[in-house]
Parts: sequence; C-alpha cells; structure tokens
Amino acid sequence: MEIFIGLIQESISGIALGSIYALIALGFTLIYKATEVVNFAQGELMMVGAYINFYFVTTFLAQSGEPTIGVFFLAFAGSIIFSFVFGWVLDWVINRPLKDEPIFSVIMATISLSIILRALVAIIAGPMSLIPYSPFGNRVLSLNGIIISALDLSIIFSAIVLVTIFYYFFNKTKWGIAMQATSEDPVAAQLMGIPVKRVYGLVWIFSALVATISGILLAPRMSLLDTSMGFLGLKAFPAAVLGGFGSIAGAIVGGIIMGVIETISMGTLSFHFKWIKEMNDIIVWIVLIAVLMVKPDGLFGEEKVKKV
Amino acid sequence: MLKLVGVETYYGKVKALHGVSLEVKEGQLVTILGANGAGKTTILKSISGLVEPEQGTIHFEGKRIDRLDPEKIVSMGVGHVPEWRRIFPELTVKENLLMGGFLIEEKDLLHNRMKEAFHHFPILKKRKEQKAGTMSGGEQQMLAISRALMIKPKLLLLDEPSLGLSPLLVQDIFATIKELHKSGVTILLVEQNVNRALSIADYGYVLTTGKIFLSGTYEELLDEEKVREQYLGEGKYVRRSKLWSGS
Repeated sequence: MEIFIGLIQESISGIALGSIYALIALGFTLIYKATEVVNFAQGELMMVGAYINFYFVTTFLAQSGEPTIGVFFLAFAGSIIFSFVFGWVLDWVINRPLKDEPIFSVIMATISLSIILRALVAIIAGPMSLIPYSPFGNRVLSLNGIIISALDLSIIFSAIVLVTIFYYFFNKTKWGIAMQATSEDPVAAQLMGIPVKRVYGLVWIFSALVATISGILLAPRMSLLDTSMGFLGLKAFPAAVLGGFGSIAGAIVGGIIMGVIETISMGTLSFHFKWIKEMNDIIVWIVLIAVLMVKPDGLFGEEKVKKV
Repeated sequence: MLKLVGVETYYGKVKALHGVSLEVKEGQLVTILGANGAGKTTILKSISGLVEPEQGTIHFEGKRIDRLDPEKIVSMGVGHVPEWRRIFPELTVKENLLMGGFLIEEKDLLHNRMKEAFHHFPILKKRKEQKAGTMSGGEQQMLAISRALMIKPKLLLLDEPSLGLSPLLVQDIFATIKELHKSGVTILLVEQNVNRALSIADYGYVLTTGKIFLSGTYEELLDEEKVREQYLGEGKYVRRSKLWSGS
C-alpha cells in the first residue's frame, strides 16, 4: 500500500516535471515544424526566462517588501513582455540573416546561440547560483494520505491552460491556420498572400514565450538556479522523439511520459534497486535510443514521404 | 493589363529566362507553350514574386510589380495556381479555402466567397471537413483553383492544371478554365497539352530555353511549321545514320 501511495505521489510529481519538458519540447517543435530548424538553444531560452523572472521578482519584492501574489504576477507579466521582445530580436538576429543558408547553418547558429546566452547570463548575473523564489513556498495538499506539492499542481494547471490556448490558436484562428499552412508549404502560403517572413517571426516569438513560461515554472522546483539550467532543455529532445518529432501532441505526451519515468526511477525504483540510482542521469537517453530503434517515428509521428 | 519587358531570371548562377517580353490584355486567355525546362514556370514565378528577375520590368495594371513581395502582388489581384496544385494536404478543404482568402478582412465576404466556391464545385462542399491531401488529383486541382479564386483575382496564373490527371478530368479542368474566362477573368495559362491549350486561348507564346520563340493566335501558330515540328509531335525526319556520325 505504501509503495502504491508513493507511486501515485511520484507520478503526479512526474507529470509536473513532464509538463515542463512538454512545454520545452513544444517550443522547439513549433520552430521545427515551421522552418525545419532544430533549435538547440531552447533550453537556454528557458534559462534566460527564469533569470529575467528572478530579476523582476527581486525588483518588485524590494519595492513592496513582502512576497504577495501581486509581486509574482507583475514579475510574470514583465517576463512575458520580455519574451516577446526576445523572440522578436532572435528572429532578426538568427533567423532572417540566415534565411537563404542551408538548414544546417541555422542549426549550428542555434548551438552557438546557446553557448553565448549561457556566457552572457553568467557575465551579467554573476557566477553565483541563485535561490529561486516560489510563490507557494513549501505548501502541500494532502488527499487521502497522498501528498502533493502546491507548486506541482500549479505547474500542471499552467501547462494545461497554455496548451489549451495554443491548441485554440493553431486550429481556430486565421493566423494559427496560416502558421500550419506555412509549415506545410511556404511557397504556396506566399501565393495565398500570407506574409511568410512575419509568420516565421511569430514562431520565434511563440517559442521564446513558451520557453520563458517553462523557465518560470521550473525554477522554483530546483533548489538552485544557475546557467546550467539550460542543459535541462536537452531532455526535451528524447521527449519529443518519444512523442514523434514534429508532432505537437507528441511533444506534450512524450514530455509527460519522460517526466514520469524520470521521477519514478529516481524515487521508488532507486529505493528498491540500488543500480538504478546510479543510472538516473542516463535513463531518458536510454529511452531515447530504445525508441529510435523500436519505433523511430514515435507515438504520434506519421511516416512521411517528402515530395521532391 | 500585364506586361513583361526583357525579363531575365536566374536560379543561383543558372539563367532561366533570357529576356522574355510578353503581354496579356484584359479579358484575354493567353497561353505559354514550351517543352519541359523551357522556363514556363519561371515566368509565372517571376510575375507572382516568388523569384525576383535580375533584369527587365514587369508591370501589372500600369504599376511595376517586380521587386515586390508575393503577398503584395496577391493583394493587387494576381492569383497563382502553382504547378502540382500544392494544396495544403494536412489542412481541411475548408481551411485551404480560408487560406485562399487570407487577405480578406470582412467575415461576411469571406463566407460568401466560400459559398460561391462550394456552389461551383459541389464536391468540395461534400469534402469540406476532410483533409485535402486525402482527395483525388482532380478534386485537389479544383480545390487549388477555388483557393486562388477566393480573392476574385483580376489575373489568374495557371501552371499546368492538367498535370497528372486522367484524360477525362483534363477535359473537365479545361471546361472550367473556359468558363472562368467567359465570366471575365483574365488568364495566363502554362500548358504542355498544346492542342487543348491553343484551342481555348486567344493568343499563344512559344518558349524555348528561356526565350520567346514564336507568338500568335491559334491559327497563326498552327500554321507555323516549326511549332508543329517541335511541339505538336509531328517531328522532323532525321537520318538515323547521322545520329551516329556525331555531326
């Protein structure tokens, strides 16, 4: 029975962690679908978002004196505005100048970007780790003996809201459908009068937006905030591959499954099997290789034949 | 209405058009004929702004349109049905039409245009919630044409609408084009199906390796021995032994 309760607790906590992986995966799936560029800087975008939010929280906290909901809300709003500007700048600095270069060049540029961002943040914020604030402190909810952290619940809730908004945008609004059309066939999209360059800009902005939100959600879950947070973004890759690379639903489901696998293997499984404990860091990567061997198109991916 | 003067277009370093000049007058149905790789598609792409000519000018209704972004050219009233249709396969039929009307701001107008498209091609109405990629080639061609018609273009560019369709469907498509022309749309048609294209066209241009080689009405072109030789499949008599001698 105890094991059972433990597993449920870990699953919920895993879903929370997985929701964040899902959001990161969603961020680069958006860019991949639209431009076929794999953005290796997605984790760093998240890290920058977390730092910016930290900066806003400390600024507003210094003014109001106590950590009220208002402080966190203002900081959140500030970070969102920042992410819009950030995404827009990235479009002009990375995407537009390289638009006629091979995809490979752009991917290399995103790797450079990830390293530059990590260094820049370290220069500006200093090398010390920060202790992130959590709007919920250590509060927990108890339900029939199952203990759930309020923070985890808020993460799951935020992820659901965000994914719902995105779903609505993509499938029901003109600009959302135009984004899908552009990713399917940019040439035909241009012939419809869709301003393709602006759509690509919008994709980068969205991507920075979800990255920032995932950074804000993830930071309080970690005991320390430093620039290595960006590496966590890499874990979203196995998540996306598991779901089916390039599928939005796949990114979300894959992310959640990865989060649950990781949490359970770190918890119950490590407790019972010592050897698993030593393997925690590589478990998602083992899953990645297994998926690539057994079902390379992932859970939601469709085998696609590209027309030449 | 449309006037190209000395248009030269490159793909990288390869010159695809060597100074093409042609004219389409309002209400005309003009066709461009030529073998594969002659540059027919490039002419259409140059007009709609998908590629930018290095030399020469393109005027539409008196305004210069080379150097403009494709979305600007579409908004001036140039519709383009590209080669191989290029519908959005993962979007539904309705969403494809919605994209065709991307530039239409008023909801009512958009709704009416969609109704017109369904009226014209009832099969599209039947399939409106279906993914466009699951339809047959002929249905996709009808969707591609309807999609371009959503903005009620003044000039419609059609790039090989009969490509990959069965003879029966080709007949249907040509009937549709004729009807469109009758209803007042100016059309520039690129075709390999020479006889059919010329039979509905007011005027034709024959293109060889990036140059206009001949132009004229149906009768004039049919009279031209060279066209018959090269494009109507009658062929020139060549002594086979000559082929081997290397001269």
